Amino acid sequence: MNIIETRGLKKNYALGTTTVHALRGIDLAIEKGDFLSIVGPSGSGKTTLLNIIGCIDFATEGSVRVGDLEITSLSDRQITDIRLHKIGFIFQTFNLIPVLNALENVEFPLLLMKDHSRVDVKKKSEQLLDAVGLADYMKHKPAELSGGQRQRVAIARALVTNPDIILADEPTANLDSVTGASILDSMREMNKREHTTFIFSTHDANVLKYASHVIKIKDGLITKE
Amino acid sequence: MTTIITIALRNLLRQKRRNILLGIAIAFGMMILVLANSFSHGISDVIFNKILRYTSGHVSVAFSRNGNIYRMLFKDGDRMMAIAKQTIPDVAGMQEAIGIMARAIGNGANDNVIMVGMDPKGTGSKKDKEEAAENFKMITGSFKDLTRTDVENPVLLAESKAKSLNVKKDDILRVRFQDVNGQNQAGRLTVVGIFKPANVFMSAPIFLNIHDLKRLGGYGPHDIGQLYIMLNKDPRKFAVTYADKLHAALEPGLAAVSGTASFGHANARAVALCFKNDSVERVLLSDSLKTSAALPGQRLLGRESVVLGAGLAAALGVRPGDTCSLSYRPKYEEQDYVERLPVSAVLAPSKLVPDNVLLVNETRFYRFFYDHWPRPLDSAVLAGLPAKGSLFYNALSPEWILLARTKTTTEMQKQTKEISKLRSSAFTVKVQSMYESASMVVNLEHALNLITLGAVLVLFFIILIGVVNTLRMTIRERTREIGTMRAIGMQKNDVRNSFLFETYFLALFSTLAGTALAFGIIAALSFVKIDAQDNPLGMLLVNGHLNFAPTVAATVGYLILIQLIAVATAYFPARRAARMSAAAAFRHYE
Repeated sequence: MNIIETRGLKKNYALGTTTVHALRGIDLAIEKGDFLSIVGPSGSGKTTLLNIIGCIDFATEGSVRVGDLEITSLSDRQITDIRLHKIGFIFQTFNLIPVLNALENVEFPLLLMKDHSRVDVKKKSEQLLDAVGLADYMKHKPAELSGGQRQRVAIARALVTNPDIILADEPTANLDSVTGASILDSMREMNKREHTTFIFSTHDANVLKYASHVIKIKDGLITKE
Repeated sequence: MTTIITIALRNLLRQKRRNILLGIAIAFGMMILVLANSFSHGISDVIFNKILRYTSGHVSVAFSRNGNIYRMLFKDGDRMMAIAKQTIPDVAGMQEAIGIMARAIGNGANDNVIMVGMDPKGTGSKKDKEEAAENFKMITGSFKDLTRTDVENPVLLAESKAKSLNVKKDDILRVRFQDVNGQNQAGRLTVVGIFKPANVFMSAPIFLNIHDLKRLGGYGPHDIGQLYIMLNKDPRKFAVTYADKLHAALEPGLAAVSGTASFGHANARAVALCFKNDSVERVLLSDSLKTSAALPGQRLLGRESVVLGAGLAAALGVRPGDTCSLSYRPKYEEQDYVERLPVSAVLAPSKLVPDNVLLVNETRFYRFFYDHWPRPLDSAVLAGLPAKGSLFYNALSPEWILLARTKTTTEMQKQTKEISKLRSSAFTVKVQSMYESASMVVNLEHALNLITLGAVLVLFFIILIGVVNTLRMTIRERTREIGTMRAIGMQKNDVRNSFLFETYFLALFSTLAGTALAFGIIAALSFVKIDAQDNPLGMLLVNGHLNFAPTVAATVGYLILIQLIAVATAYFPARRAARMSAAAAFRHYE
């Protein structure tokens, strides 16, 4: 069963007077529970593709289906709800909220969902932080954590809502190789345990060995699956 | 919502320096507002409840006769007071106001003074006593000494006046003045107290017991000079309403005296009515009536005429040239008063004029009518009076002339000039609100309110510029953070609200700090003693201190207003931040 399908996906950006064709027609089908890596050089369109299938950007042309929903026809509120309930994000620069501590950062998406009790939110967030090895750092603010620890918080935050898909944009780019490997181990473990679909972009060949499928992208087109 | 508030509060602490600077600006503005409002309200309190009490009252009734506005007098003061009390039941005070210019002679020195009447008992309330103590800081003697009966006309005077007249306590002060009847008079006053004036306006007058002053000034015990009414309710809202109401209640009836007419041994009940000297109706009535007998060479209703109705003349056996009498019991006298009236004409029977009337020209009529004010007419007599609006009614004079209400000081001044042109010898009665009689003072309060409004506008721009600038910088710095929150699943409204809450809390804490600061400054300024007894502005002080009167409503109102301004100002930048797509936010680099 495909959890994500794209057809004829194109994305153009206006850059001054010129138009940048970031995606030139992507047809893609990703199965549930996949651990998919999108690889390609810088500027190949990896992040743009992740943004569009993660519903945080819109295609210029083509269609995107997430689960059984065609997202191009949805309102901003509905799309935001999809992001909250179905998709988790892990960013290259961690993107934690600096005024919240590790626990609060993980709790944040659950609190936005407004359908969990405060006790449940706390319990679930603590369990996840424990699972990523940060039981002793729950009260630490992001600025007080190392890069690897921050990315683990980001993984916990992405997983806390039990999303169908987790999108990770170069999750190890800002980490040393040992920490990066550890992070990918954590992601792989979650994938196996929860059957969560992981899609991550990278241009690091060492990372590819973790992927069950690899898509190569160049100049906005898929060159190899 | 709790999460959004938490984020907003923590973000507030994140950019401490910037928020503290903006907070100081808002707090300073709030402080200015509370200070300006408290001062303005304090001044209003002094103006409306203290100064106006002595200068015009919230509502006042002024009287004059023969076009002389400086001889304020009305002969039936009791009736005036009763009508005023009945019409305006909720009063803080109602007092007669009499002031007489005089030349005072002390010990080898003389000076011009204004003799002002005071009721030393006042209402007897604690507030009145406090006010007396505040205005009369006695150096020697006591305010209560004005009630002394063992000395002749006790008087209190300011320290500077006592010095200029070279008098001290228990000395005799001689005064020369013109009484209310225009006669030159002299009097002896006993200095029973010398006080330190609260302001420069307290220096010129010398203060007598109102009862002594009325006696000296030629006022009878039931006469009244001018009436000042202080309202309990907010005078700004109710002064005009009550003035209008009192004006309506003071509508005069016909000037009429019911009594016994006599000639020789013959007596008959009669009603004396007064016809106007100068009116079209008098001429029309005169032309409509026929006489059975008249003195040769006189107009029927001329300036000296006394005309009898046919029935009355027949009952008395009077003919033109005879002098009949009218006797009646005046309202404030124990014995009947008798007025002798030389008859100039006798009317032929007429449907226009009742048989038992004595028509007297107003010059002669008002002389005895006012000096021997008659009792109210009984219902039978009232029923026999001509119908309102009839030709006969319109030719007759009223008990007094009620001047039309004026709306502005200019209108009032114009009316005052017109009074001197009146040819009637009737009393004029004028009802004024403070907006006509003390517009200068009221305008001062308006000016202070305008200053406060100006402060609000300045503050509005401080907040506008401060908040917009701060939010622009904040949004720019937090663009990627906004993108993250939107990507995670935060709705646009929540992003917008987090910025609005942040601004709201900044405004809330700043305004609270500003209010606390303002109250601290008020407490400090109120503590400072200002010696302004020689300065006219000293009248705005209370016990030598600035009078601040902060109100809960105004303070809370300003708190809410500033928060609303701040939140409204933040709304558009916050909305712009919320509308940013997550992808656009991630593409943003500082």
